[in-house]
Amino acid sequence: MSPRINRRQLLVGIVGAGGAVAGGLATSAVAEEHPAHPVAPPDAVSMLYDNTICTGCRACMTACSEANGLPPDTSSGLPFETTLASGLWDIPADLNSKTKNIIKLYRETNDTGFAFVKRQCMHCLDPACVTGCPFGALKKSQWGAVTWNSSLCIGCRYCEVACPFDVPKFEWDKWNPKIVKCEFCFDQRLKQSKEPACTEVCPTGAVIFGKRTDLLARAKQRIADAPDKYFENRVYGEYEAGGTQVLYLSNVPFEKIGLPKLGSTSLGHYATKVTSVIYKWLSGPILAAVVLGALIKRNWNRHEAESLEREKETGLEEQL
Amino acid sequence: MNRWKKLTELLSAANHHHTTTGTFDEDGATLVNHWQRGVPVYGEPVMTPTLLFFAALAAIGLILALVRFFSPLGPFVGMNDAYAWGIWKTFNVMTLTALGSGPLAVGMAAWVFNREKLHMVMRTALVSGFLFYATGLVALGFDVGRAWNFYWIALPWRWNTESAMLEICFCMPVYCAVFLLFENLPLVLERFYYTGSDATKAFLRVCAPPLRRIYPFMLIGAYVFPLMHQSSLGGLMLLAGNKVHPLWQTPCLPFLYLLAACLCGLGFVAFLLLTASLRYSRPLDLGILGELGNLLSWMCFVFLAVRFVDLIWRGQLHTAFAFDKMSLLFLCETALILVPAVALRSRVVRETPRSLLNMATLACLGGLLFRFIPTTIAFFPAHHASYFPSMPELLMTIGYISLGIAAFSIAVKYFAILPGDIKDWNYMFRLVRARRQAATSEGEKPWPASLSTP
Repeated sequence: MSPRINRRQLLVGIVGAGGAVAGGLATSAVAEEHPAHPVAPPDAVSMLYDNTICTGCRACMTACSEANGLPPDTSSGLPFETTLASGLWDIPADLNSKTKNIIKLYRETNDTGFAFVKRQCMHCLDPACVTGCPFGALKKSQWGAVTWNSSLCIGCRYCEVACPFDVPKFEWDKWNPKIVKCEFCFDQRLKQSKEPACTEVCPTGAVIFGKRTDLLARAKQRIADAPDKYFENRVYGEYEAGGTQVLYLSNVPFEKIGLPKLGSTSLGHYATKVTSVIYKWLSGPILAAVVLGALIKRNWNRHEAESLEREKETGLEEQL
Repeated sequence: MNRWKKLTELLSAANHHHTTTGTFDEDGATLVNHWQRGVPVYGEPVMTPTLLFFAALAAIGLILALVRFFSPLGPFVGMNDAYAWGIWKTFNVMTLTALGSGPLAVGMAAWVFNREKLHMVMRTALVSGFLFYATGLVALGFDVGRAWNFYWIALPWRWNTESAMLEICFCMPVYCAVFLLFENLPLVLERFYYTGSDATKAFLRVCAPPLRRIYPFMLIGAYVFPLMHQSSLGGLMLLAGNKVHPLWQTPCLPFLYLLAACLCGLGFVAFLLLTASLRYSRPLDLGILGELGNLLSWMCFVFLAVRFVDLIWRGQLHTAFAFDKMSLLFLCETALILVPAVALRSRVVRETPRSLLNMATLACLGGLLFRFIPTTIAFFPAHHASYFPSMPELLMTIGYISLGIAAFSIAVKYFAILPGDIKDWNYMFRLVRARRQAATSEGEKPWPASLSTP
């Protein structure tokens, strides 16, 4: 049995591990992986949707399904026979595993007005789904598009729990299920220097494609040109959840068209601000191991000595 | 009730023993207690109707799990895209592993904080903890949609190290398969030692010293790993942001999950010792059980202190006392922890088996409720949706739990898990010897399965 750890050795151990933690703290201060308010890189692509221009023609939905090779989505919730042309038509009620992009209608209860909204992935600057994804199946690709890699995904569905916009969808009816979400047409079009299918096809320019800095400036110009036309005179997505790459202008409250009220801090920052310090270079677990090790060693030796005495007393092998 | 009467008799016997022999002093330093070593449950058949009942439930669950592996998730579950996690994750893993944290809570109390008495109940904690973790991991395996991609866990450069999910994916299987299994090794080898041939005995004599030498080092991992993943389980819900009700969504969630795990761990070991002793008519050691109750009470107070400091610090105290649905849920959860915390401060309460059992049950329920609520009840996705587990989901969850119960009730009869008196141990051996002599001609295997009450 090795000699007992005395108080001095214990102290040295704690100080050493403490240094490791301090080192971790210092390093994390230099390069913060998840700033509370991330800044969009200059090449970040963006979409700007303005619901005062949208006519609800749904051309973007057809274009999206075509570009992404999605099957017809007849899941309207109505019985098959009563759906338009017996399920031939695409009438999804919401985003799902066959619909990556949707135009929805919001109507006031007393029929005084209505508004459209286009929903798809928001392509957050610091996406919660990417932070949570255990093997990086979801990642922030070039130009900030959030893409999904089937060979890295274990199907844990943490992205669905984490996403504040409820965007990622899971193929519940498949044996080899995929996570389905708008990927900004990354593989299909962006890589070929083409804009996404939905923005390209939009006949009214309700949704347009461009650099995030350009589109943000353009949205602000629209607000300045028509004060009080837009809700709260602000762009949804500029700060929400740390900022998103899809931006919205709306003439009705954002919450009414299904855009949740969110803080300006990125969820990745909120969730990792403590753990990123504790786990930096594993300093926290190492410190815990050193302290626990010293105490266990002391108590182990004490316990062993007492065990020997008891063995003599009872004539029975001590049990661990 | 008959069993309660029996328990009361046992209690008076235990009290008698306790007062007449004075087996421990004020500091609890003397170690001669009524419970002196693990003794297998002998004199009872292994196969009982109760065991068959749980085995049947386990079989139903496992068969369904197998079918699930060859079927999409959809037809099996009540989950949907808004409530993407069902009870397999939120209950079997995120909630029930708190009950399986006995090895962490009792082990740290014994080995780190030198609560010598608690070494006696470690085996009960270790076996039950292992079963909770193992069944939880099975549940997790059948819950994920693309389990075949899990091999990435072996390639650290593929890890997203900032993901709490990754931490759990790595830590929990390693903890269960390496550390918990290692800690459970002595009680398995011990049986081989006492029942095996001379060659086995000689072999185990050679094996024992190196195992003993690495044991304290394995203990370090056995505490660091659960400290990490039990807090990460709470960390999972952080990313869900304001989908989780403000009473439960807090940066302290990882720490609170860890405290709840320790609380449930202590409470469940007390609960299990009491119920198992009751079931198998074993005498109780109220010194040791009282110590568990004592620590449980303090752990409840620590949990509540952190909970309320956090609420005050975040300015959510008014939400807690708004007396709406969520506030009432919070108050219910808090009461379940506060009552045992206060009651167990009384020595009389914690050394009365019935009240200790009641209080430990309440504390466990409170801790479990705290861990379950933010995942499901206080979880509000952006879209209107609802979740209630489907029948196969429920059957599989019940199956996993039944598997644990069945395995535990078999284990206590084969291995020296439940604590008992030295006299018990010696008596068992006399019985075994007598049985062996009688049985050698019939080629029957003696200890301890085939023993019946003399």
